[in-house]
Amino acid sequence: MNKNAANAGSGATQAGRPARLSLADWIPKIVMAPTVVAAVVCIYGYMIWTAVLSFTNSRMLPSYKFVGLEQYERLFMNDRWIVALTNLGVFGGLFILICLFLGVMLAIFLDQKIRAEGAIRTIYLYPMAISFIVTGTAWKWLLNPTNGIEKMMIELGFEDFRFNWLSDPDMVVYCLVIAAVWQASGFVMALFLAGLRGVDGEMIKAAQLDGAGIITTYRRIILPSLKPVFFSALVILSHIAIKSFDLVAALTNGGPGYSSDLPANFMYAHAFTRSQIGLGAASAMVMLGCVLAILIPYLYSELRGERHE
Amino acid sequence: MANLVIENVKKRYGQTEILKGINISIEAGEFLILVGPSGCGKSTLMNSIAGLEDVSEGRILIDDDDVTYSSPKDRDIAMVFQSYALYPNMTVAENISFGLEMRKVPKDEREAEVQRVADMLQIGHLLKRKPAQLSGGQRQRVAMGRALARRPKMYLFDEPLSNLDAKLRVEMRTEIKKLHQKLGTTIVYVTHDQIEAMTLADRIAVMKDGEVQQLGTPQEIYDNPTNLFVAGFMGSPAMNFVPAKVVEQNGAFALELQASKPTIVPFSDQESLKPYLGKEILLGLRPEMITEPQPHKEGAAFVVTADIDVEVTEPMGADTMVLTRISEAEVNCRCNPVYPTKAGETIAMMLDTSKAVAFDKDTGERIDQ
Repeated sequence: MNKNAANAGSGATQAGRPARLSLADWIPKIVMAPTVVAAVVCIYGYMIWTAVLSFTNSRMLPSYKFVGLEQYERLFMNDRWIVALTNLGVFGGLFILICLFLGVMLAIFLDQKIRAEGAIRTIYLYPMAISFIVTGTAWKWLLNPTNGIEKMMIELGFEDFRFNWLSDPDMVVYCLVIAAVWQASGFVMALFLAGLRGVDGEMIKAAQLDGAGIITTYRRIILPSLKPVFFSALVILSHIAIKSFDLVAALTNGGPGYSSDLPANFMYAHAFTRSQIGLGAASAMVMLGCVLAILIPYLYSELRGERHE
Repeated sequence: MANLVIENVKKRYGQTEILKGINISIEAGEFLILVGPSGCGKSTLMNSIAGLEDVSEGRILIDDDDVTYSSPKDRDIAMVFQSYALYPNMTVAENISFGLEMRKVPKDEREAEVQRVADMLQIGHLLKRKPAQLSGGQRQRVAMGRALARRPKMYLFDEPLSNLDAKLRVEMRTEIKKLHQKLGTTIVYVTHDQIEAMTLADRIAVMKDGEVQQLGTPQEIYDNPTNLFVAGFMGSPAMNFVPAKVVEQNGAFALELQASKPTIVPFSDQESLKPYLGKEILLGLRPEMITEPQPHKEGAAFVVTADIDVEVTEPMGADTMVLTRISEAEVNCRCNPVYPTKAGETIAMMLDTSKAVAFDKDTGERIDQ
């Protein structure tokens, strides 16, 4: 459509009809306008509003009495927030590391010219198509001590088998890791598989002639050449980790107690159910800071890379 | 330094036979070029020599050792690839020394070797750079450096110059030839460029459809091609193939051509023409066999002057190529640029058939010897 508009524009120029030219020039802008407005208002507008609210004493309804950094002080004095942040550290760290490791291994194994690769690839990638709510619910059943894996093992005759992480406040965060890894590692695999397919076959032959075994070839040559893929996967996974809300909501609902809260759940609870809009806004701003801390270096390197080319 | 023997090597992928029994044997220190159109199996043969692909049948011997089933790293060969295949995450120095590192050469020896290779190829100033920061020609040098560093028994070059621009290609060609003269190591080199093959090789194997059509020195292949394919493939501009009728004239066999007027040219190998009396054969004439009349050759055996109709002229500086038509076939002639040639005119040209070759019209095989 844009292309047609552009063609019409150039045709009008040749015919010397400036009225039609301006209309043709406007069409792309008109088409784009709703999206731009929606993005500016709904994303950046509300972002700014949240930032403003985080400096006010808003409770159930927004108020505009500015109290400086008081909400941030309260936030970091709040035990529940500290638990949520610690959980994010544990969950995010393990989730990213395990996903990367599994994804890379799956991709390498799938890249060995095996049979039925297409089918296997789809199977591994499929969890990504499911919402975190579904993943959370399914894993809630699986991990539930009274009717999940534990029950199955006991029925199989392992009477002493215990797998009750879901109800253990110290271990519950690892349940989140299991479910999230199950969902996202196939996606990482797809990213790396695409990367591996782009590796120059002659390079692998050269390594073979140089005397490198298969493990050395991957470790020293192929994987280092996939650095951009690592970087993209890292960015995508870390923002999935920081945004994680629905998984916790479905799998543990923050429990037992608030031991499996993540910052997003904290923010939701305070802003919308506990009438602490100011505190919720402050926690949202901290999360935004985390995302930006990952995104800005990424964008910087991407844009610099483009200029370099 | 090592000799290379390829014995009846066959390669099949399912039903398709890529290599149909290749036999090549070269001495230590020889520069062998495998040349042929794409899909002729030359790269497959190269990969089989390297051990990157298994052969279905036959044997490969390097330095008199049967390496048919050895892994690539045990064959002590190095290869330069068309895409250079440099390791993008390593610096030039690391690229060059990687093979040595894999063979557990101590660090100080590796560094000395990198320095030696860098000096030889004049890439000392590039050692700390990554491949992405190099130009095509520089990458080519690094790829050669990587092969040189291990001092292998044999080098394999897989179309190493195809990705370079024309000028650089000629430069690197000379460089490779110099390198071969200096090192004296056996080289097997794959190319589809017949000029590269002619200029570099000690021996050329011309391949087509998984078979070696002819194995010989560049001059043998140029002067004595075994069949129409080899004759047409080697040489630029290509050999002209002119249909000619075998006739008897003054008790000798000769060939009748249709230039501007019917012309009879003599032919050296009389015996070979005997069975073809009254039939048509294909006469192979290199462009330099049809020139402007040269007084010093006047009256020599196998030299005939004939009128031809000029269709197109292509001045090339050193020579002017004259395109004409003899016996319905398009023919390229190589003229001295001072000789007046003009499209549409009929001019006198001298045909020297002393080194002309004859082919059977149906089989494409060489008739004379």
